[in-house]
Amino acid sequence: MTFEEIKDRALTEWAALENTDKPRIIVGAATCGRASGALHVLDRVKAELERHQLDAIIMQTGCIGLCYAEPLLDIVKPGRPRICYSNVTPEIAAHLIEDYLIKDNPQPDLALGSMGEGSVAGISNFFELPMLKPQVRIILRNCGFIDPEKLDHYIARGGYGGLVKTLKMTPEGVIQEIKKSGLRGRGGAGFPTGTKWELCRQSPGKIKYIVCNADEGDPGAFMNRSLIEGDPHSVLEGMLIGAYAIGATEGYVYIRAEYPLAIERLKLALQQATEYGFIGDNILGSGFSFHIKIKEGAGAFVCGEETALMASIEGKRGMPRPRPPFPAQAGLWGKPTNINNTETWAAVAAILHNSAEWFACYGSARSKGTKTFSLVGKVNKPQLIEVPIGITLKEIIYDIGDGVAGGKRLKGVQTGGPSGGCIPASRLDLSVDYESLTEAGSIMGSGGMVVLDEDTCMVDFARYFISFTQSESCGKCVMCRLGTKQIMDTLGKIARGQGTPEDIALLEDLGKQVKIGSLCGLGQTAPNPVLSSLRYFRNEYEEHIKKHHCAAAVCSGLVRAPCSHTCPAGIDVPRYIRFIEAGKPDESVAVIREKIPFPSVCGYVCVHPCETKCRRGQLDEAVGIRMLKRFAAEFGNGLWKQGVKAAPPTGKQVAVVGSGPAGLTAAYYLARLGHSVTVFEALPEPGGMMKVGIPDYRLPKDMLGAEIAEIENAGVKIKTNTRIENPESLLAQGYQAVFLAVGAHRGLKLGIPGEDSPQVIDCVSFLREVNLGHTVAVGDKVAVIGGGNAAIDAARTALRLGAAEVTMIYRRTRAEMPASDEEIEDALAEGVQVLFLSAPTKIAQQGKQVQLECVHMALGDVDTSGRRRPVAVKGSEFSLVFDTVIAAIGQQPEVPGELTTGGGNTIKVDLDTLATGKAGIFAGGDAVTGPASVIEAIAAGRQAAISIDKSLGGKGEIDEKLAPPEGELKPLEEAGEKRRPVMPVLPLGQRLCSFATVELGLTAELAAEEARRCLRCDLEEHE
Amino acid sequence: MDEIRLTVDGREVKVKKGATVLEAAQAAGVYIPTLCHDPDLEPYGGCRLCVVEIEKMRGLPTSCTTPATEGMVVHTDTPAANDVRRAAVELLCADHYSECLTCPQNQRCELQKVAAYLGITRLPYPKTTRTFPVDDSNPFFDLDRNRCILCARCVRACNEITCVGAIDLAYRGYQSKVATFGDQLMISSICKSCGECVAHCPTGALAPKESRRPTREVLTTCPYCGVGCQMSLGIRGHEIVSVRGKREDSPNKGWLCVKGRYGIGEFVSHPDRLTAPLVRRDGELKKVSWDEALDLVARKLASYQKGEVAVITSAKCTNEENYVFQKLARAVLGTNNVDHCARL
Repeated sequence: MTFEEIKDRALTEWAALENTDKPRIIVGAATCGRASGALHVLDRVKAELERHQLDAIIMQTGCIGLCYAEPLLDIVKPGRPRICYSNVTPEIAAHLIEDYLIKDNPQPDLALGSMGEGSVAGISNFFELPMLKPQVRIILRNCGFIDPEKLDHYIARGGYGGLVKTLKMTPEGVIQEIKKSGLRGRGGAGFPTGTKWELCRQSPGKIKYIVCNADEGDPGAFMNRSLIEGDPHSVLEGMLIGAYAIGATEGYVYIRAEYPLAIERLKLALQQATEYGFIGDNILGSGFSFHIKIKEGAGAFVCGEETALMASIEGKRGMPRPRPPFPAQAGLWGKPTNINNTETWAAVAAILHNSAEWFACYGSARSKGTKTFSLVGKVNKPQLIEVPIGITLKEIIYDIGDGVAGGKRLKGVQTGGPSGGCIPASRLDLSVDYESLTEAGSIMGSGGMVVLDEDTCMVDFARYFISFTQSESCGKCVMCRLGTKQIMDTLGKIARGQGTPEDIALLEDLGKQVKIGSLCGLGQTAPNPVLSSLRYFRNEYEEHIKKHHCAAAVCSGLVRAPCSHTCPAGIDVPRYIRFIEAGKPDESVAVIREKIPFPSVCGYVCVHPCETKCRRGQLDEAVGIRMLKRFAAEFGNGLWKQGVKAAPPTGKQVAVVGSGPAGLTAAYYLARLGHSVTVFEALPEPGGMMKVGIPDYRLPKDMLGAEIAEIENAGVKIKTNTRIENPESLLAQGYQAVFLAVGAHRGLKLGIPGEDSPQVIDCVSFLREVNLGHTVAVGDKVAVIGGGNAAIDAARTALRLGAAEVTMIYRRTRAEMPASDEEIEDALAEGVQVLFLSAPTKIAQQGKQVQLECVHMALGDVDTSGRRRPVAVKGSEFSLVFDTVIAAIGQQPEVPGELTTGGGNTIKVDLDTLATGKAGIFAGGDAVTGPASVIEAIAAGRQAAISIDKSLGGKGEIDEKLAPPEGELKPLEEAGEKRRPVMPVLPLGQRLCSFATVELGLTAELAAEEARRCLRCDLEEHE
Repeated sequence: MDEIRLTVDGREVKVKKGATVLEAAQAAGVYIPTLCHDPDLEPYGGCRLCVVEIEKMRGLPTSCTTPATEGMVVHTDTPAANDVRRAAVELLCADHYSECLTCPQNQRCELQKVAAYLGITRLPYPKTTRTFPVDDSNPFFDLDRNRCILCARCVRACNEITCVGAIDLAYRGYQSKVATFGDQLMISSICKSCGECVAHCPTGALAPKESRRPTREVLTTCPYCGVGCQMSLGIRGHEIVSVRGKREDSPNKGWLCVKGRYGIGEFVSHPDRLTAPLVRRDGELKKVSWDEALDLVARKLASYQKGEVAVITSAKCTNEENYVFQKLARAVLGTNNVDHCARL
């Protein structure tokens, strides 16, 4: 048969399939689909069709790329578009057959999208979905659309048309076409494919080989596997074209044995193509002969390197050798050889079938066409994608991948697998092309793309990759074999908290030498993850070394329990939880007091960073650490006092400016160390933001008062109504050290016309007035501008002051709101209205009211914080009338004296000592960090106490042993799934009439039950 | 033109086409440190010490694997090359036993030599040595992996010179080691004990069991067979304590077999060795002089008829000796019954 006859037959068969009067059911059954249960779905489909005695065509396809949505089941009814259903279970499949095939209800809720002509109500166009819209399918053109085991399907969609065209051209003409297309090697290095072919063609020799490198081995990469499983003929056709152009008579596909389905389909494809006369002697009567063999690799990563790959085909140990000679001169068995990656071959077939110009209209100036990537890691929608080169990382992660999973913060993205580097979130606008990625310290690589979030520790991450390359190093060259070992050991040391500052220099120097000095690509790129993470995340390395702190709470050698490790004050959370479980709140509160003097305050209002890293959260829900702390503080008594050891007086005097959590904590510990401490407070009452920022319904003021009283009992003198204008004057008065903890009490202006109206007040001033007991009239209608915790406090306070209607105006959506979820929920429950995606533009006085002019916003581009930037929608202006407008868009410190300040008017200090530029003056808390949390301020107070004590000749030892020893410690028995208790709260009806505490606290039974959910990570054996 | 000209460190040098940059440098009298390079073996490029900078070439190519080309300009002593050399040797030293004094290769060790050349006196890296058990199963040499630098000269010698292939590199990364098939003891492998691996080992990893050093050397011909291998016997007092082949000498170009390399010393000084002819008298073997013994043999041979005599010679004899002896048999003794032990 001629090719035309073969093609006609294939087209007829394909048309019959497309226009059949039977329904068609399509199941994506590549390895990925099978792993998620596609074959069970398929079995059920068959059984259901039989049960209902339905006649339908069932087709298996390769992977369409939507990993997160597998198994995928598509149904095409005659005359209807193809509807794609995601996450299909056998049960859902059975329902779909009954509902759609029999009852004609397409179940739009279960559908992902529809393809083809026509539409179905309630189902969007598949290719218009956000994750598909930016994609262009050239390499993966057939994946998910044809049965990969049917050669006729491939031919019907234009397959082997490129070969037929090729056979009518001269080999040089084919090479010119590839050169014109701008195709570059998709294995990662990006060498121009046409040039590579030309070198091999020009190389003298009768026997030449070509090789398809399908030894995909990067952790997290599966592009080549999916391609071969979904469309094996595209690779074979590309090889045929290459062989013709180069003058090769034999080819190899080197594919790893771990890809059994891909190998099976490739073998079948080879057999089919041979039967059709596309492979073998005198192909399609052209006189051109070519044979292909499949070589299964044993799974060594280094065999992806071309010279090692050739050694492996030759039956030798897979070890690379230096070049020159290049494979084009002397490759497989010493003959000229051309090796290209699987994806490159598939692109070749598409280029010859269409044209070089067609291919070159995709991509960037220097990198043409598309590139496939395995988008994996901490992304909402992990997928196999194909995008035009030159797309930005931002589009890939946020548009296609739907952002970071679990609402976490994006940290970076690793491209190029273990040979690549990490690109930080701040460089999300980077264009994904060979040059830009290299400039950013990474590589394009073969297409692995791993998204990292805040829970990824960069030291651990670098360590993972280097341990991979170390164990996959072939051992031949010294730099790679021993250099990566030393790098791995050094990272291990840092991860265990045994690193030294010199280790960073060692990593950088050795990394550089290994890159320059290694024999092959494996060693030359192995240090990339380490060097790029050092380039962009050096602070994490330094934190591990200097502070023995792993911010992601990952490095097991440093992190005894993630909760206590994450607590800024380092409270031994698992221990106090165990005391609660044992019914000993007194002992429990003593544990808490070993680190902080404000157990109650934290029990009520802590932002509990500990809970975000609680391992129980990965199982069902994080342990309610804050509610347990409140229980301990409420029911614990003064046992802790027995453990307190007062130090003898040192005769040194310390002044603390500001009586917030930072100031009082520092004062407390300095007094315990024997110093004479005086706290100066500008306001009439001590407590700082704990007193004047947090409303009573969240933090009862008697609790705060009791804890401040204990601080005074420790010998701290508090002078209220005393504003310090110049801290240096305190030094002149005889204080040896001054700690500035003045907080951030100045509300930020809205920056819009009319905000000087008497009806406009800033949030900090508003809350201060209310908390100091002054009468504040807010009127009936109150607007709060902002979306943080302070804005919520203001809104809920306004309700309690009698406002009938409180409206929050926030420029983004609920998902981006910085306020804590619990707070938002409570505010909504109490009747606070929120206008999302709205921003004020102008305030106009209307008698005793103001008219607030606003504009609707839409979410635009993602910014470096990973949140989408709000942009005003033209013509969407609206206005509202209010009695009071509260601006809650942020606070700044008011810095006394002449100190160096940084962004947000914060005081600049040495972060290790908290020393300001002026001798004897230290600063900490919100005044240094900008508005933060109580626990961070307490931590700053602790740090200041240590630092000031040392500056006064002490040892800075402030930790106390206050709790008695625990009994015998048992590891937790098997933990069944169980969620945390719901915190009992004041009924809604009783809330708005007063400032009574909303959260009522746990009972002893509930507390013990909750304490039992703790996994006791601290008792685990670590490396 | 099969000669090419190139410049190495400013010195112009002519080499034959096909020569490597390293060979060109050596021809120009420029020293480049090496560890895995061995003139008997194919270029390898593993130790990274011979890296150089070549104008118009990217990175740091290894001079041992890079062919010299016309007009090439090579710089061997550059900061970048020396940084890599230093790092490589420091890494090797950190992974190497430090007990040089008790190493059989002490003062002859090539690692010592390059470390000294680079002036390495302290290590920036912590030691990564492990303790491997010494494979002393072979009767003639030990394999002590604690002293191995994985240059693979042994592996290549076994493959390229003797074509036995008893050893190869096994495992990956830091776990890589020289091993026999199935990681068995050397004695359980197909090793022929020829000792080529030992002869090519730059360190003390493969060392003969006899570790004493000779005080002088004597060049001789191996007495074991007729090939006539040239060898240097290391003499210490009245004992032969070492044997080595010399690559300049024909016919063996330095190669030796198990008998020549390990069978000489013991056999020469063995108490059972015959050092004088014996003649049986009254049922007992008695030492006699050569003249007396030869007279006896001549007398006896003369007493037989042609057909009563057969001659058998030894493979230890050279071709010439065997030729002379068959001549004696045919022409003098008149017998064609001539045979040779190597035919058995």
